[in-house]
Amino acid sequence: MKENVISATVFTLLLFLNTCLLNGQLPPGKPEIFKCRSPNKETFTCWWRPGTDGGLPTNYSLTYHREGETLLHECPDYITGGPNSCHFGKQYTSMWRTYIMMVNATNQMGSSFSDELYVDVTYIVQPDPPLELTVEVKQPEDRKPYLWMKWSPPTLIDLKTGWFTLLYEIRLKPEKAAEWETHFAGQQTEFKILSLHPGQKYLVQVRCKPDHGYWSAWSPATFIQIPSDFIMNDTTVWISVAVLSAVICLIIVWAVALKGYSMVTCIFPPVPGPKIKGFDAHLLEKGKSEELLSALGCQDFPSTSDYEDLLVEYLEVDDSEDQHLMSVHSKEHPSQGMKPTYLDPDTDSGRGSCDSPSLLSEKCEEPQANPSTFYDPEVIEKPENPETTHTWDPQCISIEGKIPYFHAGGSKCSTWPLIQHNPRSSYHNITDVCELAVGPAVAPATLLDEAGKDALKSSQTIKSREEGKAAQQREVDSFHSKTDQDTPWLLPQEKTPFGSAKPLDYVEIHKVNNDGALSLLPKQRENSSQPEKPRAPENSKEYAKVSGVMDNNILVLVPDPHAKNVACFEESAKEAPPSLEQNQAEKDLANFTATPSKCRIQLGGLDYLDPACFTHSFH
Amino acid sequence: MNIKGSPWKGSLLLLLVSNLLLCQNVAPLPVCPGGAARCQVTLRDLFDRAVVLSHYIHNLSSEMFSEFDKRYTHGRGFITRAINSCHTSSLPTPEDKEQAQQINQKDFLSLIVSILRSWNEPLYHLVAEVRGMQEAPEAILSKAVEIEEQTKRLLEGMELIVSQVHPETKENEIYPVWTGLPSLQMADEESRLSAYYNLLHCLRRDSHKIDNYLKLLKCRIIHNNNC
Repeated sequence: MKENVISATVFTLLLFLNTCLLNGQLPPGKPEIFKCRSPNKETFTCWWRPGTDGGLPTNYSLTYHREGETLLHECPDYITGGPNSCHFGKQYTSMWRTYIMMVNATNQMGSSFSDELYVDVTYIVQPDPPLELTVEVKQPEDRKPYLWMKWSPPTLIDLKTGWFTLLYEIRLKPEKAAEWETHFAGQQTEFKILSLHPGQKYLVQVRCKPDHGYWSAWSPATFIQIPSDFIMNDTTVWISVAVLSAVICLIIVWAVALKGYSMVTCIFPPVPGPKIKGFDAHLLEKGKSEELLSALGCQDFPSTSDYEDLLVEYLEVDDSEDQHLMSVHSKEHPSQGMKPTYLDPDTDSGRGSCDSPSLLSEKCEEPQANPSTFYDPEVIEKPENPETTHTWDPQCISIEGKIPYFHAGGSKCSTWPLIQHNPRSSYHNITDVCELAVGPAVAPATLLDEAGKDALKSSQTIKSREEGKAAQQREVDSFHSKTDQDTPWLLPQEKTPFGSAKPLDYVEIHKVNNDGALSLLPKQRENSSQPEKPRAPENSKEYAKVSGVMDNNILVLVPDPHAKNVACFEESAKEAPPSLEQNQAEKDLANFTATPSKCRIQLGGLDYLDPACFTHSFH
Repeated sequence: MNIKGSPWKGSLLLLLVSNLLLCQNVAPLPVCPGGAARCQVTLRDLFDRAVVLSHYIHNLSSEMFSEFDKRYTHGRGFITRAINSCHTSSLPTPEDKEQAQQINQKDFLSLIVSILRSWNEPLYHLVAEVRGMQEAPEAILSKAVEIEEQTKRLLEGMELIVSQVHPETKENEIYPVWTGLPSLQMADEESRLSAYYNLLHCLRRDSHKIDNYLKLLKCRIIHNNNC
């Protein structure tokens, strides 16, 4: 029996299933609630998606219960939300409470339930788009034109009580553009747009969102045509500002380029380097020493030729045989050696040093080259010419070794620079002298010191000292005998700058007093080369003061009322050598003007002025 | 830097430091000094400030919950265990606009204050527990710290508002007590995660409540229901 019942049941079921399968009817598939939204926090709607269709009409029901309650409720409104929706009205909507709902699909074949959905209205808020978007172009007279847009909030939202808070956003673009221009508008319901392209058609849209929730959809687009006369004043202003700025920048760059260096030096003044006033390195390189020294201010220096005279004073031995020396030396310059006519006392220069018996008496004893041989400065440039056979070369050379100024072969020593003939020639040496020292005043003094000392020493080395004085005396005599070889202090005929009204005249130094005053004799132009007797000392005027230098080579002397008596030189002559040495040793240039006596060197009865003191007087 | 310049420099430095120290003591003009009851700040400013704070706190809470859920509990049905888990559910808070409009102003304010007070302790423990976690999530921790700080400020502001709107209100310290600390410290990870989930879920909800209530009150009190 039982087996019959069981088999019958199975048979019936299979038959039923067969029938169903033949008909294609199935219980409905499992529905799914996929979305719930509340537009205003007062109502909300849920939508479901039905499952597979069973082929039979299916009923759906949504059931729910709320947090904290156990009672099961069914959806109050299936219509308002559309098909497959459930709308919850105000009385069914609660905030801050979880809804647990599910949908039940039922058909003849069966039913199926969806999964439970936990919904809190608080987090499903999404409003509708704003309404009544209006856009217009406003062009007030005094101000810039702009685009003015207005809208209103969606309906059913309570903003007045503060239950709902809305935030807006607008966007616009030209009709053909691809990108939107988006602006956040906050809680306001109007907006102004200032930057627009004239003559274009714009699209404008607006949307909104709650303070905590989802953005609404964009409102339908509103079209607006911007008139072509929409003036963009901003652009014009900015263009003019840009052009002006560019022009100013160009001007500044141009000014900086032109005066950049001066501006930089104004801000950052260059650090001055050591500089000798008037010193031109370029001239130094070129070797134009005379120009260099003239720039340095050696102009006030006593004439170089005169200076040489002074220096040579101590070295030369004035002797008629000096001419031989010059002739020997004039190998390099034959022309000069063949000019005995230069022995003209007017042109006789450089002899005075040889006339100084104390210094170079030995030198002067030996046959000398023509002291008045024309002194070629270029020849003098060769100090390395010691092999020139000069009788008194050794001394000269030795001196020259110390003083390169006195160059080759004693020609310098024996040569009295011809001031009048070649004033410039001796500048060379002076410039050399200046080169060797810092200042023109110091160098000659130094050189002279050395020259004097060396000369003295050399003279002593060669000759015994006991003969020194005698030799000096002889020198003095010889000096006197050769007035033509006196060292003339040549004064140019031109007017001196020192205001002397008298015409200048050439004089020759008769002697130098103890005080250093020069005893000058008027120069005898004619027949003056061979006057053998000395001038009457009483006719000589004593010039002890050099008031200035003219033409760089001419000393302007003024008489010294305090000059010693000429006759006093006799006894002082004997002590000339020590005094020479002594005066030279105590060279104090600063005291020259005050105490000219220091410069006075008595050599063999003749007073010589220390040229170093002279140099100082001009500074 | 010669020796001569050093004393001058030292005196200058001393002057500068003393100026800075003095500047510290110069207090800016306070809007409302020390939270006194006699504060001169307008009610409008107080409400604006309160609304800003409540809005900010809810944003932080919402972000914190989202991050926590995404990281630890997403798709695991923790929401089912979060039903009826908030300790403030006992408070008679309005749940829709009509109920909110029916409640009177004073009660409304007290209610808000109660909710804020009831969250002091849970926030404190939340920060402590998250900080003590191994591999503490920095994003969650930082937000928790900020929420705790801002909630305190909001509470102070609310007390000021209450003192201005209803000065006669006596201090009512009754508020729901949170007892979820043991749950936060449970050894079982599932239970612990559930406890955290519930806490963050409730925090998100209550912060939204407070924000909504304050906006309602602001429109009611300041703008006379004409926002």
